[in-house]
Amino acid sequence: MLDFIIILPLLVVGAGAIALMLLASMENLSEGSTALVSIGIFAFAFAVQLMVSVSGNVAPYETAFSGMLTASTFTKVAGLIILACGLFSCMIAQTYFTQNKFSSPEFYSLMMFAASGMLLLTMAAELITLFISLEIMSLAIYVLVGYDRSRIKRSEAVLKYLMLGAFAGAFFTMGAALIYGGAGSTRFALISKYLATNSFLESPVLVAGTLLVIVAFLFKVAAFPFHAWVVDVYDGAPLPVTGFMATGVKTAIFAVFANFIVLDNGMKGVWVDYLFYVAVFTMFAGNLIAIGQNNLKRMLAASGIVHSGYLIIALVAVGTENFTGGVIIFYLAAYAAATLGVFTALAYLGGTDERRDSFDDFKGLAKVRPYTAAAITIFMLSMAGIPPTAGFMGKFYIITDAIRADQMLLAVLGIVSSILSMWYYLRLVIMMYFKEPEESFEVSGVSLAPVGTMILAVSVFAIGFYPVFL
Amino acid sequence: MFENTLSIMIFLPIVAGLALMVLPVGREAARAAGLVVAVLVVILGLKVFINFTGAGGLEFVEKTSWFAYVGVNYSLGVDGISLLVLLAGACLFPMVYLLLKTKSKGFYANLLLTQGAMIGAIAAADMVLFYIFWEVMLLPIFFMIGLFGGPNRLPATLKITLYTIAGSLLMLAAIVYVGVSYHAQAGVWSFDIAELSKLSLTGPAATAAFIFFMVAFAIKIPLFPFHTWLPDAYTEAPTAATFVLSAIMAKIGVYGVIRFVLPIFAEDFTRYALILCYSGVIGMMYCGIAAIGQKDFKRMLAFSSASHMGIIAVGVFCMNLQALTGTLYQIVAHATSTGVLFLLLGIIEERMETRTISDLGGIAYKAPIFAVFFAVAMLASVGLPGTSGFIGEFLIILGAVKFNMMVGVLAGTTLIIGVCYMLWMFQRVFFEKSNTRTEGFKDLSAIETLTILPIVVLIIVMGIYPQPFLARITPAAAEHLAAVSTVQQQLADTTVPVMEQTTQKN
Repeated sequence: MLDFIIILPLLVVGAGAIALMLLASMENLSEGSTALVSIGIFAFAFAVQLMVSVSGNVAPYETAFSGMLTASTFTKVAGLIILACGLFSCMIAQTYFTQNKFSSPEFYSLMMFAASGMLLLTMAAELITLFISLEIMSLAIYVLVGYDRSRIKRSEAVLKYLMLGAFAGAFFTMGAALIYGGAGSTRFALISKYLATNSFLESPVLVAGTLLVIVAFLFKVAAFPFHAWVVDVYDGAPLPVTGFMATGVKTAIFAVFANFIVLDNGMKGVWVDYLFYVAVFTMFAGNLIAIGQNNLKRMLAASGIVHSGYLIIALVAVGTENFTGGVIIFYLAAYAAATLGVFTALAYLGGTDERRDSFDDFKGLAKVRPYTAAAITIFMLSMAGIPPTAGFMGKFYIITDAIRADQMLLAVLGIVSSILSMWYYLRLVIMMYFKEPEESFEVSGVSLAPVGTMILAVSVFAIGFYPVFL
Repeated sequence: MFENTLSIMIFLPIVAGLALMVLPVGREAARAAGLVVAVLVVILGLKVFINFTGAGGLEFVEKTSWFAYVGVNYSLGVDGISLLVLLAGACLFPMVYLLLKTKSKGFYANLLLTQGAMIGAIAAADMVLFYIFWEVMLLPIFFMIGLFGGPNRLPATLKITLYTIAGSLLMLAAIVYVGVSYHAQAGVWSFDIAELSKLSLTGPAATAAFIFFMVAFAIKIPLFPFHTWLPDAYTEAPTAATFVLSAIMAKIGVYGVIRFVLPIFAEDFTRYALILCYSGVIGMMYCGIAAIGQKDFKRMLAFSSASHMGIIAVGVFCMNLQALTGTLYQIVAHATSTGVLFLLLGIIEERMETRTISDLGGIAYKAPIFAVFFAVAMLASVGLPGTSGFIGEFLIILGAVKFNMMVGVLAGTTLIIGVCYMLWMFQRVFFEKSNTRTEGFKDLSAIETLTILPIVVLIIVMGIYPQPFLARITPAAAEHLAAVSTVQQQLADTTVPVMEQTTQKN
């Protein structure tokens, strides 16, 4: 019975998704009410997740469903972040669809399916479960990316994402099969037990298997050298989907990545050196791409790569003993709040067909809409890691962890990379404040996104002042 | 009543600044509100100064746990090192509101935020808290220069922002390194400055951290060769922001070196002290010579301010009691004299609508009070005996000679350059023939006179009777140096040839 309590939020979202899919057959379901219903479902699931108590003491592989799922404070908070991302993405979608008319109730239903896949992913403690949840999430996202069939850019994005994502999925399956062949089980707990008695490096099958699994994860979080797809896909996807992908998918994958990497000390030790290089190259490749962008969505996509790099630093630094994942989850929360914040603002400023999407389009925003400009500034500062925002505390914890794990060089390179990233974050602030406005940024229709922007701007500070979760 | 004085001094301006930003108030109302807050802060600052006992150690301590996970506390306190810096940060602001023309309310909001953050950085007794205020301090400056600055404000803003952020992010790595080292040695997390000062870090990683700290502070001071942002930023910034930058923010850089780098990295500091001293002296000469050639009044003052920061920095790097006391003293002396100079320049700029030195002339005949005030501040800036500048510079040069004859001689002679450009400028602006432009220059009004008078009196009082100030800072400076001198001894016993002189003369 307790097992079902753990997946209660998942059930809520999943049931909501199915119900909405059925309701979609009704002709007279208005767009606005669908959005409200889905926001309500996400909010309800969030409340349920908040109330589900998991024991504060976190051994990573406390089992549920006979070892198929794991539940800890780490997965709980990851779930909370995912549900909050879903909620704000629905707000973005509501506003977005007042200006871009290609909405139907299935859109929200697919968002919820994706969210339930993500929730399952955070809790997965078994390779098959992991694969199933990964695919639930990915399939829903593929459809969402290509939801607007009228534009060629969207089709390009979905084709790229689908092809490469399918590769990643295949890699993962192959890796899972090899691990099963090597360790004799797909359950994390049993693999861990096997590795405790057998040296990881003596079994080439296991080495190859974990390599393939890690590659699949790296692809999904857009880490170097699997980051090339991300800019086009994020740019091509509709705005609410981009926001959801950038935050929700990243949270889910990093949660399960962390759960996987702490399986065994010996195994982690082998990959740490490689992850070191992956982290460094991810940060610098992301920065180089972001510096060259003129389009805001593309810049955010590239900066997402950089943030993945920071999170990989945190992964390098996590200890397999007494794993809490607090640093990772804190950073993810900070990142999600800031990124979604920018997307909520873009949702109502973007205009029809995402007309305003380059840096130049936001010239003089501060003179016309001072509060929105202030909020965007806050989000940019948080992403850049300037105190007293959440982004600063996140970065501070990551650097602390890295230095504590004797990765001084990695910490310094992380810092150098954030100096580089100042360039493109400040560029937007300069555009908004120090240039003269050329248009009036009129906004039509009733929309929820400004409310979301305000809530997120406050929560950027709230998370910053809140101590680490775990 | 005294428990929360520092918190009030920090958050009163910050809250007021945020309120001004959000609430729909007019420009004049914003200015009035800013003035009221600034005066309240002055009162609190004076209260801190008067009630400060000088017994050594932190006073007015406030401490609350904040991020228990890594031992970060919200902790504040004042000791002899920070007292005078705090006083400068608290007491000079009302002048800005009273003397300069009204700008938009956003300007005053930013000014208030800067003040709060600066007092926070000075009073912080926790490294992470210090870092937070240190960064927050930059943001209002960024907007003040970018929104209200001169015609070339954009490149200037970018330059100062990228420079300082690069420095401070490196400092963040160093701060974390220090914290982690403390954790490794003591087994508990703490970023408390008093605790961390007990550390004495050595080794390559420590040297890297030392360099990171020094880069961050050298950019803020600014120390040669990190000064290239300064002329542009000082010139393009609105005069009030220039005042803030030169009078207070630069001092926080010096204060940071004394507070963090000196005790924790005593060994590296001792090792590199001579290089740093020369960097200070070269900065003095370079900026002094550059100041002579300037045509723009404000740019000239900017270079002059940078030049004098050089000698203040030299005082820190000499690591003896005289020089350190002199530096702490000179921090206030320089803040008051440069502050007044920049504000008076702001008045000239507003009334004449020009800053080119050759366009001005004969102001002394038209505005005697103005000229007298300017002369006093200028003479204090060049270190004339009887003004505050003399005491500070004298002590620093005394310490410098004790540390290394060459540095002392160079620092002493370089001061002459300062006299050159200042007097030449004074001659061109205040004497010579008045022209059509300066004919109409009005003297200071009663309110303006009364605003500046206390500071001018302070400059003279500090020059004639420095004892009340020195008494409060000397014990702390001595205590601060006690830890360093043992390291100095050890080093002198081993290799570094430069240090032999230090031990002989001590």
